[in-house]
Amino acid sequence: MDEAKEFVFEETGDYTGAKLGMWLFILSELLLFGGMFILYSAYRYKNPVDFHHASKELEVILGTLNTIILLTSSLSIAASIAAIQKGQRKLSVYLLMATMALGLLFLVNKGFEWGAKVEHGIYPNSPTLLARAKGEILFFGLYYVMTGLHGLHVLVGVCVFSVMLFLIAKDKINQAHFTPFENSGLYWHLVDIVWIFLYPLFYLIT
Amino acid sequence: MSSVGFGGARVKPEEEIRNTRYKTFVLVWITLVILTGTTFSVAGMELGSWTVLIALAIAGTKSGLILNYFMHLKSERLLIFKVIIPLVMAVFLVFILLTFSDLAFRWGGVK
Repeated sequence: MDEAKEFVFEETGDYTGAKLGMWLFILSELLLFGGMFILYSAYRYKNPVDFHHASKELEVILGTLNTIILLTSSLSIAASIAAIQKGQRKLSVYLLMATMALGLLFLVNKGFEWGAKVEHGIYPNSPTLLARAKGEILFFGLYYVMTGLHGLHVLVGVCVFSVMLFLIAKDKINQAHFTPFENSGLYWHLVDIVWIFLYPLFYLIT
Repeated sequence: MSSVGFGGARVKPEEEIRNTRYKTFVLVWITLVILTGTTFSVAGMELGSWTVLIALAIAGTKSGLILNYFMHLKSERLLIFKVIIPLVMAVFLVFILLTFSDLAFRWGGVK
């Protein structure tokens, strides 16, 4: 077969298998966050006023900014994967690095947000928080657990991308072999989707 | 050899890779940002219980865009990728209904 010079997508059955496996993992993650969303809904249903008051204290602008940051990182990683598939290696690397920078920026913002709350004495089990209404304690408990778990996913995503960057540099990921890169992109989009629901439910309660 | 895979279905043919357009991605991103702005401004309006419904509808629409375009569900050919999401959503819905029927009918309510 004289295909040496021609672009050939070399992955076959494994490709679908790997992608299906990734989807199963993503869906299990959706149910993990889903359970927390149900818990959130149940407590909000029982404590609507407290949730409203507590939500007012979150930084809406910072939350909105972080939404835009994650949406943009989803665009850059989708484009980065498309670029490697088209053989535009350099463009792919730049877009991947931009995605990682946006992920870190998200975490920095989150850090400032949490830091400000902790400074005001609002953190799980703090005396200031425990003196408040029960619904507000529940709200901030859920806020820390859910945005914390989400932040952990962002951190893991950035770590996975740094491995991808290394693999691209080593030419282990290229125009013909990109399955791990594509799957890590799927994971990143999941993280984005979870935030899309966290944003209105925590920052925009009226 | 390049296009035959699992169950004899075609996987990621070259023309599909070539047809992935950056322009589509950018248009999807613009829509996502506009929808974020909409969620933000709707939250400021006094719409009562509609607010959360509208917010969830917009969040659902945004997820749909990401799933279909960024995660390429739209161009998947295998049936399993088409049914897997509705199936998991159905399971999730069962959990929601069970939880809320418990909350609604429990005497005295959960505190």
